Amino acid sequence: MSAAFTLWHKHMTKLIAHKEEGFGVLFQPILWVVLFGTGMKSVMGTAMPGAGDIYITFMVPGIIALAAMTGAIQGGLILLEERIRGIMKEYLVAPISRVSILMGNAMSTVTKSLLQSSIILVVGVLMGAQIVGLDPVGWLGGLLLIILYGLGFAGIGLAIASRTSSTGGYHMLIFMLTLPLLFLSNALYPLKSLPTWMQIGSRINPVSYVVDGLRQTIFDTGSKLAGGELLPLWLCFLVVSVFAVLGIMLAYGAFRKSVK
Amino acid sequence: MIEKIHNNIVVETKRLVKNYEGRVLAVDGIDLSIQENTIYALLGPNGAGKTTTVSMLTTLIEPTSGTAKVMGFDVVCQANEVRHRIGVTFQEMVIDDDLTGRQVLDYHGRLYGLGTHEREKIIKELLVLAELEEAADRRVKTYSGGMKRRLELIRGLMTQPKILFLDEPTSGLDPQNRTTIWRYIRNLKENNQLTLLLTTHYMDEAEALADVVGIIDHGRIVVEGTPRELVSGMGADTIQITGSGDVDSFINKLKSLPLVQSVTNTDGLIKIGIDSGNKRLAEVVSLAARSDFLIEEISVTKPSLGDVFLKYTGRQLRDK
Repeated sequence: MSAAFTLWHKHMTKLIAHKEEGFGVLFQPILWVVLFGTGMKSVMGTAMPGAGDIYITFMVPGIIALAAMTGAIQGGLILLEERIRGIMKEYLVAPISRVSILMGNAMSTVTKSLLQSSIILVVGVLMGAQIVGLDPVGWLGGLLLIILYGLGFAGIGLAIASRTSSTGGYHMLIFMLTLPLLFLSNALYPLKSLPTWMQIGSRINPVSYVVDGLRQTIFDTGSKLAGGELLPLWLCFLVVSVFAVLGIMLAYGAFRKSVK
Repeated sequence: MIEKIHNNIVVETKRLVKNYEGRVLAVDGIDLSIQENTIYALLGPNGAGKTTTVSMLTTLIEPTSGTAKVMGFDVVCQANEVRHRIGVTFQEMVIDDDLTGRQVLDYHGRLYGLGTHEREKIIKELLVLAELEEAADRRVKTYSGGMKRRLELIRGLMTQPKILFLDEPTSGLDPQNRTTIWRYIRNLKENNQLTLLLTTHYMDEAEALADVVGIIDHGRIVVEGTPRELVSGMGADTIQITGSGDVDSFINKLKSLPLVQSVTNTDGLIKIGIDSGNKRLAEVVSLAARSDFLIEEISVTKPSLGDVFLKYTGRQLRDK
């Protein structure tokens, strides 16, 4: 598995060297939280005094989920580019397992995801989001959730990347996938307040589980905020873990087929 | 570790076939037997199946049928053993040009499990060999085409392989860079006891480098031998003629001459393989006159591998 680490290291080196990519990774999440957060805060605050701050706490986990999901799927794009440019051939000819090629990519993707999530967290807190203090168990739990969730989407991204042949098609797919997944979840609005068909959709969406998971581990979102119901924490961990496993399996199957 | 080398044959294939998705027959039964410490050139036009053959030998893709062994190890079921022992450079630029030259070499070494000190030492030596010491810490993006090729060559050598596969090593380079790369390749073979398999569509490259040439067309090896053997089978010289008139009668009469070894007519260019062009020139000219063939241009050249290709496939080997 040290090959996976070597590839991770290489991607990180390139991230630091590539000013534009690094800038995007850092700046984009800040932009999202500030713009969306400020807007929603004032809307909520106008409708119900004091509700603005509460909404920030409610919403920041959703932004983290969006950033992590988008970031994770970007990992697939890197694989696709490496395949198109021919860089992948160096890996395939080397005495390393095919799995480590995937894992190296997944690891660097999740690392970038975590980086973005941390920034969103910090900015969210600065904007008024309430967190559960410094209890390490809660933080570790939240971290684990983000990592697993990121792995799941990284897997999906890698699977798609192994089967497409152009970056244009890939971008299309990301675009069509990510925002709808965010909207069809409890990230931006409480589950209970949604019409039935949307509730059903949200309940089979891993985004809902990571968001409610974060609301109970890192963020201090009282259940009355969420319209009286948060998805149980154990269920959140379960769903996100299964999602991670499925994502990786999907990626592995697709990747193996593509290198025959 | 005991190397399983059988009779010093380092690359051996038997009826190697690659049929992409059952529709594109890229390689149609290739038998190769490459000896240690030789340079073998697979010469053929684009699309002949050269890259596919090398891709199979370097374990990038699996054969549809047939067997291939590198250093005695099967490319399918002992792929990892093969990978440990080979170096490869590819036709498309596969160097990650956001990295520096040194980083490219370093990561490559890490992928192959080389330790830190070992990598440092080898990198230093290789940079000197390729004259890239000054450029080593600049991004590869800033390198010229020739520099990138030299970097690719030494990257293939990072792991001190026994055999190096070069897919079109000088395509896209200017003549000066090409001769420089040839010089490197020849030195590598002499000094490092390497075996090299290169693919090319340039006949001058095959002539300059190869100990053995395999001419490949439509996925098959059409003829194989040392450049000298192949060319001498064409007659010592070639007389080239363009003109007009009764071509068929002229050619038939030529073929009946005892000193003529081969006659081909491609797009109006008649090539005659003959033992000595200068001596026979007069005879050929008078024969043309007697056949109602009007000669426009006539010249004497030494045959080339391109002529060999023409003889065996009926087509020109186009230098792109």
